[in-house]
Amino acid sequence: MTTTTATGSPLLATAPGRAGLRQGILSEWTKLRSVRSTWIALLVIVVAGIGLSALISNVEAGRWGTLGAADRAQFDPVRFSQAGEFISQFVVGVLGALIVTSEYANGAIRTTLATLPRRTTVLAAKAVVIGAVIFVVSEVTAFASFFVGQAVLTAHGGKTLPEGSTILTQVKSSFIPVATFSSTGAARAVFFCGIYLTLLALVAFGFGLILRHTAGAISLFVGVLLVIPLIVQILPSSISDSIEKFLPSNLGLAMIVVTTRKTDFAGVLLSPWAAAMTLALYTVVIVAVGGWLLARRDA
Amino acid sequence: MIEAVGLSKSYGKTKAVDDLSFEVRAGLVTGFLGPNGSGKSTTMRMILGLDHPDAGTVTLGGRRYHDLHWPLREVGALLEAKAVHPGRSARLHLWSLAQTNAIPKNRVDEVLDLVGLAAVAERRVGKFSLGMSQRLGIASALLGDPGVLLFDEPINGLDPEGILWVRNLLKSLAGEGRTIFVSSHLMSEMAQTATELVVIGRGTLIADTTVDDFISSNTVATTLVRSPDAGRLAGVLTSLGATVSVADDGALVVTGSTTERIGEAAHAAGIRLHELSPQQASLEEVFMDLTADAVDFHGTSGATVPR
Ligand SMILES: Nc1ncnc2c1ncn2[C@@H]1O[C@H](COP(=O)(O)OP(=O)(O)O)[C@@H](O)[C@H]1O
Ligand SMILES: [Mg+2]
Repeated sequence: MTTTTATGSPLLATAPGRAGLRQGILSEWTKLRSVRSTWIALLVIVVAGIGLSALISNVEAGRWGTLGAADRAQFDPVRFSQAGEFISQFVVGVLGALIVTSEYANGAIRTTLATLPRRTTVLAAKAVVIGAVIFVVSEVTAFASFFVGQAVLTAHGGKTLPEGSTILTQVKSSFIPVATFSSTGAARAVFFCGIYLTLLALVAFGFGLILRHTAGAISLFVGVLLVIPLIVQILPSSISDSIEKFLPSNLGLAMIVVTTRKTDFAGVLLSPWAAAMTLALYTVVIVAVGGWLLARRDA
Repeated sequence: MIEAVGLSKSYGKTKAVDDLSFEVRAGLVTGFLGPNGSGKSTTMRMILGLDHPDAGTVTLGGRRYHDLHWPLREVGALLEAKAVHPGRSARLHLWSLAQTNAIPKNRVDEVLDLVGLAAVAERRVGKFSLGMSQRLGIASALLGDPGVLLFDEPINGLDPEGILWVRNLLKSLAGEGRTIFVSSHLMSEMAQTATELVVIGRGTLIADTTVDDFISSNTVATTLVRSPDAGRLAGVLTSLGATVSVADDGALVVTGSTTERIGEAAHAAGIRLHELSPQQASLEEVFMDLTADAVDFHGTSGATVPR
């Protein structure tokens, strides 16, 4: 054995550079892709996204002829196409939590932290991989769902409203309104649906880092999305009105709705960009707390 | 080489490791011996920078683990065999580890061959027996062809054939000049695997020595003697300076003499002997005696061991 380092290791140990983010990303990707549950979860995102888009668009299209003016005003062809987001948000939450909690469950986190002793590198590698995978799958799904949804509406005789149309045009329209990419807010809403899911995955990742426990992290995640809104609803409206728009689920809504923004959500939601920035801020804070704990705690 | 200086670590009120200092030299198998709960695994985790010591330092070839640029290429470790995602195949598990330290892919197949898991490389790790998991853990430790190897209770769950295999592997790795640090709670196992010993109890150092010295300095040779004339023989032996005690069944237990001297003395006195046999305290007994305090009062937080 050639003794080239103080520990007496052969050739490899003296290679230039050091184990860093690039190596961490490659490894995390191998780990993620090599378990079946990842692919099942990603498939659920795609199927739920496209399937619910077709289903909801079909149901809503069937009702168009019977809708009164108020309901017609709330007809949101973009939002219908993104209905799968309600299910996908829990799936990305599970995936985001598992990338860290599954390693705590079986002790593999120690191996991970021994292979890459700089813990910020481990944090970044995991965040990049889970973020990138969820982003790509969610965006592809969001855009596919959009086209499927509009195709279903078109099949029911829907047409694109002429340029410069208002809610009033929509209410008076004899045919079902269909969105295109150039419709105001449509492309942004679809793109933001993928962003919403990506940020949620990272929020769950942060919860996983903080709690180091799968069931705990997922419960907290579900609690934030489903339970906290219920609690806020029973508060006096003087309080709830000011809190509601900052709830993660409502931030998601604010990022995704188009037509309904001016009707049933008028004044309730933040603007799409403000909502996205707020959720991004939450995400950064939660992941930073998780990363700080990861660096400080014993593994 | 591994060097620990004044390592201490508490978990709440439990003092897991207490002012522990030792050295592990290259080219030898050093056994890390202590009863369950004595702080072996905690020490291993501190060597790898996983748990932060409350006090003290541990270095590998003069550097902290955290400062190693390609840690897997310098230090390989087997901590817990089952610490692997059950749904992943053995090959992809090893590949994911190799990637963290830019270790080439063919090395994965090399170590799979080396530990005898090549045939099950594609199988999900969750289906592995404990013995197979131990082999996979050893494979991951060897991935980077490191100069320092840490094995925490590597023979747990192995069949006799597997134990022999690990023993020979550790010896041959040491023969290549590597530093081998292997823990066990079994003295007999260490006696057959290691040449050097670090013995701990309740987190503190009990002995830092060679296996041979440890055994000879802690083993009292006694001789069992049976004679129809035991009373007279006891008097003869005592007058020669030996210490004699009588066992329940009337046999004499003699310390401070040898079988030869007892036989000669009996012959000279005309006393017939029915049995004359040397007794070695078993290694396990020696170790138990030494660490008895450590075990008895394990879990209390007092700084001194009451007797
Ligand atoms: N992460 C931990 N949290 C709390 N107590 C721990 C932890 N790790 C070890 N201990 C305690 O420290 C002591 C030493 O444990 P350990 O290092 O596992 O011993 P060994 O490996 O020699 O059996 C034990 O009392 C154990 O309960
Ligand atoms: Mg242990």
